[in-house]
Amino acid sequence: MLKIKNLHAQVGDTKILNGLNLEVGPGEVHAIMGPNGSGKSTLASVLSGREAYEVTEGSVDFDGVDVLDMDASDRAREGLFLAFQYPVEIPGVSNMNFMKAAINGKRAHSGLDPIKGTDFLQKVKECASLVELDGRLRDRSVNEGFSGGEKKRNEIFQMAMLEPKLAVLDETDSGLDIDALRVVSQGVNAMRSDERSFIVITHYQRLLDHIVPDYVHVLSEGQIVKSGGKELALELEEKGYDWI
Amino acid sequence: MTGSKESFIENFSAASNLAQLRSQGKQYLADLPVPNRKVERWKYSPITKLVNSSLSTCKGVGVVWPEEIPLNPIPFLESYRIVFKNGLYVASLSDLPVDDNVTCSPLSEINTSFENTYHKKEWVGALNATYFQDGLYLKVSKNKQLDRPIVIHHLSDGSDIASFPRHYIELENGAEAEVIVWSSAKDSASGMCNSILEAHVATNAYLKIDKVCNEGGEIFKFSHENIIQERDSKFKINTFTVKGHWVRNELEIIANGSGTDSIFNGAYMPIGKEHVDNHTIMDHAHPNGTSSELYRGIMYDKSTGVFNGKVFVRQDAQQTNAFQQNSNIVADSGATINAKPELEIYADDVKCSHGCTVGQFDTEALFYLKSRGIGTDEAKALLVKAYVDDVISAVERDEVRCEIIKLYSDRHNWE
Repeated sequence: MLKIKNLHAQVGDTKILNGLNLEVGPGEVHAIMGPNGSGKSTLASVLSGREAYEVTEGSVDFDGVDVLDMDASDRAREGLFLAFQYPVEIPGVSNMNFMKAAINGKRAHSGLDPIKGTDFLQKVKECASLVELDGRLRDRSVNEGFSGGEKKRNEIFQMAMLEPKLAVLDETDSGLDIDALRVVSQGVNAMRSDERSFIVITHYQRLLDHIVPDYVHVLSEGQIVKSGGKELALELEEKGYDWI
Repeated sequence: MTGSKESFIENFSAASNLAQLRSQGKQYLADLPVPNRKVERWKYSPITKLVNSSLSTCKGVGVVWPEEIPLNPIPFLESYRIVFKNGLYVASLSDLPVDDNVTCSPLSEINTSFENTYHKKEWVGALNATYFQDGLYLKVSKNKQLDRPIVIHHLSDGSDIASFPRHYIELENGAEAEVIVWSSAKDSASGMCNSILEAHVATNAYLKIDKVCNEGGEIFKFSHENIIQERDSKFKINTFTVKGHWVRNELEIIANGSGTDSIFNGAYMPIGKEHVDNHTIMDHAHPNGTSSELYRGIMYDKSTGVFNGKVFVRQDAQQTNAFQQNSNIVADSGATINAKPELEIYADDVKCSHGCTVGQFDTEALFYLKSRGIGTDEAKALLVKAYVDDVISAVERDEVRCEIIKLYSDRHNWE
């Protein structure tokens, strides 16, 4: 599914990723943990194609295609999804028009006709109920005036709508209360399948109680320094990062 | 000799009605300087090229209407229509209201007096006062309404033509009217269109104007609206510069009584080397007035733009509530906007706020849209539409709003 080899990336002159290697197979859930500044969000940004990040070395193979040469919209159309740590508010663009444009962008990429209105609405209904996103929020401008929890639920709603092959969740648990964390996690778990993979970036073990990972990796200074099963997260929670 | 005031006006001919205004105009035409870069109001909108050209006023009115330009610019709107071609009234294409409570006719058939003193202040105003050809005269009686909007459609279709429309609207106490000021031009048209609209909105009256410039060709387009509002009257105008080679929209609102409400919005999205200038003046001289101004622009390619918004709150204008916002996106590195809000407040118990921004596309928002699989162009179109929607949605009539959206969509490939 995803093969990251020797990835080096920087912003301006600041090197952040220093030879990162990671393989994610179909259906697997990988958690990436690590101290502040270790490069977790940079990894998410580089994978999704944020332009400020410059890749200086290495490769990212996603289902047989090298995504590093693609722009962000083509990566998304190939099935890559990033749930933002800080979802952006876009006044004046309705959530519905936004999703329709996104779905049709992806469909056009695969040579399909635009989605039918009734099919679209049906899908909206299903996906919204998955994360308990009520109609009021669906019809509003993208994330405008949403609470922190509503924004994160909207991210998972979008993920459900777009059905990616690989979803990268960048600190989706930050700013969530216990109920919202449960709802968001349920949404993610409902999306898990043998074909769909997840990279879950988080600081805290508590998210991994809800979204149970197959693998846990520790990122430090732009490299993965330790990998293990889900029990590694518990150990980290207890001992901190210093013991590694 | 070219480039002098005298040579520029030598081929203009004036009608003989309203002689007093014309002779005043002539006097000020001689005395006032041609706008130049040394004058702050014209610093970023030089007209040297225009003054160096040789234009003439149109002699006879042709009735042939170009196929490519719809006579009814807003197809589904039930409206009256008054049509001018190169400044001259075209009776056969017009459809004026017949109503005991409304006087509506071409200005050339009316004897009236004007109050605005624009011709004493600006050379282009003096030009219009001297040479104005025709325009709409509309008067609505006390507490009556014009039952449908009236569209003033001005077409420029000649080359090197100077046209001078002049419109006059009077709403008596409690009267209401809705006017759509639409200008079109053929792609082959060139010259100048110098237009003035004066309106008197009496006590409790309500005047609404939607103004759209959708001109091909290479025309220097001046338009000046001078609105005088009496006590508790309401005025609303939305100014859309959809397309135009060189466009200067001037709006002056004078609150001449207490409790007036003035709402004025504008949008501009010039491409290529187009030039769009919006100059607005809101003058609060009496208590309890409100005004709200929102202008938004996106500058593409090598276009140039100007926004200048003056708000005066005079000493007696206590309890004024004035809001002004102008925001601009410079989409391409070759484009320019000169934006300048000016507030002069002499009263001490007022609420005034203003904001003026110049920036680029919001890269975070753009990336967010792209990260969901929306292509760059479509993502930009979504953001642009959202950005100008605050102005477009101020247009109350669906038919008008939809037509404006359609024009912008076609021009900027929104779909």
